Amino acid sequence: MSSYNKVTPQIADQLKAVVGEKRFFEGEAIKPEYSHDEMPIYGKYFPEVVCEAETTEEISEIVKICAANKIPVVPRGAGTGLVGGCVPLNGGVIISTRRMDKILGYDMDNLVVHVQCGVLLQDLAADALDHGLMYPPDPGEKTSTLGGNVSTNAGGMKAVKYGVTRDYVLAMTVVLPSGEIMKLGKTVCKTSSGYSLLHLMIGSEGTLGIITEMTLKLIPKPIVDVSLILPFPDIASCISAVPKIKLANLDPQSIEFMDADIVKSSAAFTGNSVFPQEVNGEPVGASILVTFVGNSEDELDLKMEKLAEVAEETGAFDVLVVDTPTLKKDVWAARSSFLTAIEADTKLLDEMDVVVPVNRIAEFLLFTRELGDKHDIYMRNFGHAGDGNLHIYCCSNDLEEEEFLRRVKIIMDASYAKCVEFEGQVSGEHAIGHAKKYYLKESVGDTAFNLMQEIKKVFDPDMILNPGKVCTYICE
Amino acid sequence: MLNILVCVKQVPDVDLVKMDPETGNLVREGVPTLTNPLDLNALEAAVQMKEKYGGELTVITMGPPMAESTLRECLAVGATKAAIVTGRPFGGADTLSTSYSIVKAADMLGKFDLIFCGKESVDGATGQMGSQLAERFDASQITGCLLIEEVNEEEGYIIAQREMETGAETVKATLPCLLTVEKQNYRGRIPNLKGKLASKKAAIETFTENNIDGLDLNKIGEPGSGTIVPRIYPPDLPEPGQIIDEGSTEKSVAKLMDMLAEKGAI
Repeated sequence: MSSYNKVTPQIADQLKAVVGEKRFFEGEAIKPEYSHDEMPIYGKYFPEVVCEAETTEEISEIVKICAANKIPVVPRGAGTGLVGGCVPLNGGVIISTRRMDKILGYDMDNLVVHVQCGVLLQDLAADALDHGLMYPPDPGEKTSTLGGNVSTNAGGMKAVKYGVTRDYVLAMTVVLPSGEIMKLGKTVCKTSSGYSLLHLMIGSEGTLGIITEMTLKLIPKPIVDVSLILPFPDIASCISAVPKIKLANLDPQSIEFMDADIVKSSAAFTGNSVFPQEVNGEPVGASILVTFVGNSEDELDLKMEKLAEVAEETGAFDVLVVDTPTLKKDVWAARSSFLTAIEADTKLLDEMDVVVPVNRIAEFLLFTRELGDKHDIYMRNFGHAGDGNLHIYCCSNDLEEEEFLRRVKIIMDASYAKCVEFEGQVSGEHAIGHAKKYYLKESVGDTAFNLMQEIKKVFDPDMILNPGKVCTYICE
Repeated sequence: MLNILVCVKQVPDVDLVKMDPETGNLVREGVPTLTNPLDLNALEAAVQMKEKYGGELTVITMGPPMAESTLRECLAVGATKAAIVTGRPFGGADTLSTSYSIVKAADMLGKFDLIFCGKESVDGATGQMGSQLAERFDASQITGCLLIEEVNEEEGYIIAQREMETGAETVKATLPCLLTVEKQNYRGRIPNLKGKLASKKAAIETFTENNIDGLDLNKIGEPGSGTIVPRIYPPDLPEPGQIIDEGSTEKSVAKLMDMLAEKGAI
C-alpha cells in the first residue's frame, strides 16, 4: 500500500506545459464522463486533471511528472469499457488518448498496419477494407479505441474463426510507469525469444504501461460472405447446434446466440424486428446467427446445405438466409445494438462476461436465469456461442439501487462460483477493471493472484499506473 | 385466387455512389446493387395477400440482365413467377417509357387483380411509377398504403388504409387496383434456405424488344422518354459551421460572444 499526492498548482503548470492549455482540463472543466465508463453502477470517481495527449513523447513527459510526484495516472481511450477499467479510483491524472487517432501507415508486403492507440476500431476496420484487407478482431463496441482493445485483449464476433486481439498484435510502443518509452515485439510472425513482455502488456489494462502505438496484423478481406439465422424452441437445442457446426467442418466466422428477451428489446429499440420471435406460430426461445466467408458463391452454397442438415438434426425451426446488402446491414445493426438496447430501457444494470466450455453454455444460462427469477432480477443474455463467451445482464427498473446491488451481488457470487466449477474464465473480453478483481482472485487462486501482484510491483513499484485495477487494491 | 403483380427495381447502393466532380456523372462502377428497399415492402404486402387469399404472385423488373438477381431475391421470399424486360433499346428510359414497357410486357402475362409498387426508388426517387402504371393498367390506385384490410375478389373491391398528412384514411377501391406501399406494416421478410436455393434454379421469363406483342419502339427507352436530364450536379451546400472549443465552457462562451460582437450581431 502506498499513499498518493495531490496535483498541486505547480504540478498542474508542469502538465499544462506538456500538452498546452487547450488540451489541459482541471476542476469543473472536466466533463462528467471522465468519472465513469459505460457501467456507472461501479461508482463515479473524478480525476483532478485530464490531459489530452497527441504523442508518445507527451505521454512519457506526463507520466514522468506523475512518477516524480507520486500521482496516480490513468490512461483512457473512448471510455466504452464495462468494468471500470479507465476510472480514476484515486483521482490524479487521466491521460486521454482520443486525439491519438492516426493510422500511421500500411506495410502491404508484410500485411501490417501501424496505428496510434486512439484510433477507433470502426475507423481501422473501414480503412483496412478500403485497402483490400481485413482487421479480424470485431468487438461489439465499434467506437472503442484500438489501445483499449489491446489493453483488454478484446475478442468479439469473429473470434471463433480468427482468434482475439492478442493474435493480431505484433509490436507496440509503451510508456512505462517511470515514463521511459519502450518498444516491444517486431514486425514478424514468430518468436521464441525470451519472456513475451508484449503478451504480458496485452490485456494488462493499463496497469503495467500505457500502450501508445501498435503494429497490427491484417489478412486479405474475404471475397463473399453470408449470414444465417437459426431459430430454436429453447436455449438447450440452440446451443447443441454449436459443436455440431464445428464438427461438420464448416469453419464459421462467427456463431452468435441471442435469447428471446434480448431479441424483443432490440426490436423495440431499433423499431425493426429482424430476428424472428415466432415461426409458424411457435415461439422462438433462442437463435443463433452464423456467418460463413469464402472465395465463391458455390463454396457458400455447399456450407449452407450442410448447415441445413445440422439445423434439422438439432431441431431448428428454419434456416433464414441473410445475403443481401440490405439484410446484412439490418441484421448486424440489430446484433450490434443489443447492449445499447438494454441500456436504453433499463435503469439499473450489471453484467457478466464469463467464458464457459461450449457444452456448458445452456446449463450456465439456465442456472443464471433461475437465480434471476429467484431474486426478481431480469436477466438478458447474448454472446459468442462459438467460443463460450456469454454476456449476461442483470437488469431492474423497479428496485432502489442499494437493494439492486445487494441482490445482484448474490447472483454474481453464485454465478462466478458456478463458472469456477465449470472451469470457465471470469472474463472473455471485457476484462477485470476494478469491478471483477475479487472474482478473478477466486477464479485463479491465491498463488496466481499473488504472482500477478508481484509482476505489477516489478513494473510499477510506486503503484501510480491505473491503481486499484486487475490485481491491486485501492491505496488510501 | 388472386393474380398479383409486383414491380421491382434494382438500384445501386446509394450510400456508396459518388459523383464524378468533373463530369457530374454518378460513378456506379464497383458499387454493389440491391433491390430497391421500398419495393421489398410492396413485395411483403403482396406475399401476405397471396398467403391469405391464394393465387399467383409475379414479379417484374426492367433493367440489364444482372437485375435477375433482384427477381431471384423476390422468388426466395414468396414470388411464384418472375419476368425481366431487358435489352439495349430500353436503355435511358424515364418513367413514361418505363411504365409503357412494363405494362406491355405484363399484358403478355395475363390480367392482374392487384399490382404492387414501392413508394419510390431510392436512386431516382420520382415516385411517379405507381401512378403511371395505374393509368396504363386502367386500374384504380391506392397510394401510401398503410394496411390492407380486405380484398374481395368476388365482388371486385379492396379496402385499405392509406397515409395522410394528418393521419390515415380508410378507402375502398375497385379491382384491379394498384397500391404503393408504406413500410410500417410490411417490413420485408428474411428468406429461408429452401426458398433461397429454389430461387437460384427458378426460370425467369425474359422480354426483349423482339417478343413483346404490339410494342411501339418509339415509345421505349430514351426516344420514348418525355423528359431529358441535361445535367446532374451536387446542390450548393451552405458553409460549414465552426466548432468553438477553447478548452472550457467559460472560455468557449467568451470566444463566441467576442465573435458575435465582432460581426455586430450583439
